[in-house]
Amino acid sequence: MITGKGITKTFKQRGNVLGGREVHALRGVDFSIAKGGSASFIGESGCGKTTLGRIIAGLESYDGGEVSIDGTPMSPLKPKQRQPHFRKIQMIHQDPYSALNPTRTIHQTLYAPLALRAGQTGRSKAWIEERAAEVLSLVGLDPGTVLARYPHQLSGGMRQRVVIARALTVDPEMLVADEAVSMIDVSLRLGILALLKDLRERLGVSVLFITHDVATARYIGDDGELYVIYRGQVVERGPVDTVIADPVHPYTQSLLSAIPVLHGLEQPGEQPVVPVESLNGAQSEEGCLFAGRCPFRTDRCESELPLLGVTDGFPQEHACFHPERRSVIARPMSEV
Amino acid sequence: MAQQASQQVPQRAAGQAPGVRIDSLTVVYKTPAGELPAVRNVSLTLEPGTITGIVGESGSGKSTLALSLLNAVQPPGRISAGSVEIDGLGDVVTFEGEKLRKARGAHVGYVFQAAQNSLNPLKTVGKQLLDLGRSHGVEDLRGLVREARELLGRMGLDGARVLDSHQHELSGGMRQRVGIMLALVLNAHLVVLDEPTTALDMITQANILKIVREVHAERGLTTLVITHDIGVVAEVADRLAVMYGGRLVEQGPTREVLGAPKHPYTRGLINAIPRLVGDIDEARALPGRPPTLATVPKLGCVFRERCAVRMDVCDTDDPEAVAHGSRIVACHAVTVKEHA
Repeated sequence: MITGKGITKTFKQRGNVLGGREVHALRGVDFSIAKGGSASFIGESGCGKTTLGRIIAGLESYDGGEVSIDGTPMSPLKPKQRQPHFRKIQMIHQDPYSALNPTRTIHQTLYAPLALRAGQTGRSKAWIEERAAEVLSLVGLDPGTVLARYPHQLSGGMRQRVVIARALTVDPEMLVADEAVSMIDVSLRLGILALLKDLRERLGVSVLFITHDVATARYIGDDGELYVIYRGQVVERGPVDTVIADPVHPYTQSLLSAIPVLHGLEQPGEQPVVPVESLNGAQSEEGCLFAGRCPFRTDRCESELPLLGVTDGFPQEHACFHPERRSVIARPMSEV
Repeated sequence: MAQQASQQVPQRAAGQAPGVRIDSLTVVYKTPAGELPAVRNVSLTLEPGTITGIVGESGSGKSTLALSLLNAVQPPGRISAGSVEIDGLGDVVTFEGEKLRKARGAHVGYVFQAAQNSLNPLKTVGKQLLDLGRSHGVEDLRGLVREARELLGRMGLDGARVLDSHQHELSGGMRQRVGIMLALVLNAHLVVLDEPTTALDMITQANILKIVREVHAERGLTTLVITHDIGVVAEVADRLAVMYGGRLVEQGPTREVLGAPKHPYTRGLINAIPRLVGDIDEARALPGRPPTLATVPKLGCVFRERCAVRMDVCDTDDPEAVAHGSRIVACHAVTVKEHA
């Protein structure tokens, strides 16, 4: 179980003449991912979803709030003391081409972390070999053919499986998959998604899925929670299928409206939401963060910041003064 | 306005979208294992004024095919057979030197994959625009700048500001629009967009696709969109062509192909798209993996290793592309079924 309360993170950019500029990557985010559960963070680039993922994986510090792993708060601990906690959380990066050392065979890649593990737990060399083969089988690769190969001899999908296998060598409790399928060929993506789902079911590993592609978020598990993040704030949060089928925040609705419609197979939603585009790109820090682009904004939105919470009539949490159901997503022809 | 006159390149009637006929095109790459075909015996017609989308996975040969439209396949690749006939221009495969250079840009606009990275980081967009104008012998550079500003304004950008910007000052979506502007500013009427929305966010992608559609209609273009994302093609294209292992396996009107795919690969690809609604177990990954240049089978159908309806003949004979009504499909199983 990993929880976060009020996580904030601000990046300071060094300025030249006018002094520095501050970027609020995260503005007080709460989250909680149960053991064996799943969650997806969705949003556009720069919304803070990757920063949050990196904080959860222990790769990034945070300025405010607290991350707790199995009830232990992390910030009072010294870096060395945190290590065993964050070891339970392993990251899977977007690009399997650069995540593997090209000069090492898959055997060497898996051997190093396993040797470390063996040292810690007093196991033998034979165990290392056995376990290397085991983690490869877990991710659907044939150890006999893959172990002796170099990364360049494998396809993108196979490499991503090796990356996942490497993460499994340290017996993680959670995998953080940051855009883990966006560089994989279309016909193979579902295979990787199915693998992550399968690992959840078989090993009880929880999965945090970070993506800008909303549709893939469903494939990690329909019991998962979806967090829609905009400019460092969670603007909508709830069960995956609820948020996708019945979004109430205009930003979520814009994201879902932007998904291409497979004409001929699907019927577009009747009330697509298209965000207003600001010409100068300047974004107001006052009021609702989405107000500048929101087609439904009112005076209140420009002065007051809505906070994430539940209101009558909607099952999910949202941060909007004027939540409303709109039919935005495309439906299969067979249903209409 | 851009002056694109040149003695060598014949003038086309202004404002007229050209048709393109690619006939039996084969492009090979020289490798230690001999010359291997990246594009094999591909025939495709782009009707004037239409948007055609080519869909394929990595290594399917889609980018190589697109580059052939400019006769710009780089060594060690070369066009080994076939022709690319562009209305008002001729067979570009036979073009070379100055004549070829003039045709590029003035007649065929190309928006490169990752337009984000195809701009010069040291020069402002405006300076690059002037470079483009000079290299094409445009005399009225002021007119060119005016045209560029209009185009950028049309795409929702502040033209003056963008022309004064370096690429790092522009967002991904803005750079993509700059790429489109540079492809159109010389008044090309045939435009190739290679992965126009890769690495863009959903909302930006939707915006760019809308712009592509509108600019296409307003300027009377013939447009070719290359992508790995069926969704992109579904949004913009009139016609859809599916490439696999260097072959064009299926082509036809977008809605028809998506609604009732005939080729087993097209079917598999559509089934592999994650959906927003419905049973998540309905979507399935295709077994196996796409072939690379080195693993494309020399004999028989390129898709047979992953095919659910494989027959004996698939191992030995490469299926011909056969027309079935508005659809052209290269599959033995489909041919048998349609003629049964």
